[in-house]
Amino acid sequence: MARAGRQSYPLTWRLLDIAERAARLVWPRRWKRQVGYLMLTPAVLLVGLLAIGLGYMAEYSLHELDLSTYRLVEEYSLVNYQTIVDRPVYLRVFWRTLLAAILVTLFALALAFPYAYLMVRTSSARMRKFLLIALFLPFFIGQVVRAYGWLIVLGSEGLINTALGALGLPRLDLIYNYPSVIFGLTQYMLPFAVLMMVPAVAAIGEEVELASEGLGANWMQTFRHVVLPLARPGFIGAGIVVFTLSLTDFAMPEILGGGTSDFIASSIYDSFFQISNFGLGAAIAMVLVGIGSVLAAAMFILVGTGTLGMTGGGRDTGR
Amino acid sequence: MRGRRGKAVFLWTVVGFCIVTLSLPTLIIIGASFTAGEIIQFPPDGFSLRWYERLWNLDSFQDALWRSLYVSVICTVIAIPVGALAAIGTVRYRLRFRRTLQVYLLLPFTIPLVVSGIGLMLVFGEVRILGQLWPVGVALCVINLPFMIWAVGASVNSLDPELENAAANCGAAPVQVFLTVTLPAVTPGIITGGLLMFVLAFNEFLVSLFLVDSRIVTLPVQIYNNIRSVITPDLAAVSVVYILFAVVAVWLLDRIVGLEIFLRSR
Repeated sequence: MARAGRQSYPLTWRLLDIAERAARLVWPRRWKRQVGYLMLTPAVLLVGLLAIGLGYMAEYSLHELDLSTYRLVEEYSLVNYQTIVDRPVYLRVFWRTLLAAILVTLFALALAFPYAYLMVRTSSARMRKFLLIALFLPFFIGQVVRAYGWLIVLGSEGLINTALGALGLPRLDLIYNYPSVIFGLTQYMLPFAVLMMVPAVAAIGEEVELASEGLGANWMQTFRHVVLPLARPGFIGAGIVVFTLSLTDFAMPEILGGGTSDFIASSIYDSFFQISNFGLGAAIAMVLVGIGSVLAAAMFILVGTGTLGMTGGGRDTGR
Repeated sequence: MRGRRGKAVFLWTVVGFCIVTLSLPTLIIIGASFTAGEIIQFPPDGFSLRWYERLWNLDSFQDALWRSLYVSVICTVIAIPVGALAAIGTVRYRLRFRRTLQVYLLLPFTIPLVVSGIGLMLVFGEVRILGQLWPVGVALCVINLPFMIWAVGASVNSLDPELENAAANCGAAPVQVFLTVTLPAVTPGIITGGLLMFVLAFNEFLVSLFLVDSRIVTLPVQIYNNIRSVITPDLAAVSVVYILFAVVAVWLLDRIVGLEIFLRSR
């Protein structure tokens, strides 16, 4: 770099030079190998807030509530966990949540596969766009608003009951029960499931299906023996996402269940804010984290990560 | 049933059902918001804009809307640099504990939202910033950060590292390479991620529920509180605001990167 012609440099060059020098001052050249760590630091710190929060919860869960002062006692104990095991109500809530998560996962997968398949295979670009929009629009409308929409459709003065009334049929109680929570959750999870399913379906070459049909299989046999096995990563990825999200959901059981079908998340909320027992709430939360992690880990070990497999690991550039 | 016809009938029956269940609540909300009656019912009792008018004059709603927008902006503004750097860092550089770091950065997705919400409430309470609005934005950024990292990561993955090497070979210094080669190449990912972060923050309910009080209630929490008391049609009008946001977001996403990007196989 000749010092002489510097004045004729464009402004942007001079600014860049300053930036380069500043960068070198803050982060000397010989630390070049560590630039990657520097880039990750803000994200690591930010996520650290969650880790700290989880640490607080773990700590709280080990202290019993002193009912005379309504404070957590100093001593460590497992009383809160014992309470969860002892009280049948918590066992019931756990089973109810687990069953709901399983059912929602099954329904969502059953619906998501044909949707993903049709969206990938359709020859009409317009149709594909329509299916994509029908999927993304609800994805961008929050859970509360969607649950509210179902209240209007299924409520006692809602669309379906009005229609039944007009036909002279008796009204049905369609909300504030377990099936409505399952239904609402399935609808909520469908976009997630389809988006996780799509990469697996898109990876199946159409010629494989044609070959199967050419060899005399009808479409059901082709689905059963060719397409579904090849789409396995999609079922796994979508299944894990839907299951873990359903297991920990709060809004749907609260709004559509109306207190009849509380999930684990509701129990945590109630422990913290209704009965003000932070220790117990934290203990239920830790159990929820434990169940979710163990089941997800079991899935990873048994069937792999499917379409969840990390994409970022990609190319090593050798820098 | 076993022929091509049967397959089409089967697929379209299922997909038709999906489309109806996905769209019905949205359509019904739009319809109900124009009712002239006092209560939510279907079909609506005449047509009027009275609930929109009421909404427009309702301070509590307007304040909640502004708060939600404020929180979403904070979330997006933090997420863009933090997420983009993290994505470039994990994909482009040789890191010693790459796997561990990736799993760690996925914590926001693996910890249930209730737990994250209460955890952050405890953390914020400890440093005495609970009850202010900006920490809510930070919290929403934390819980959705993997979306940002994922969106930018996809862009970084498709950028050929030789381009950066070529620029360096031609004499560009590191900052210049970053600003003129890397950054423009990942901009679509940054825009997609930013859009996702904004819309998700605008809609986020559960974590916000723990971090706001009655003075700084955000829109989704306000809707939730109202659902639990009396359901009046002004709620439908509020929800239409959300639907409009979603429409704009989908349109933008389609314009900028194309929705078809999600149909690629890995």
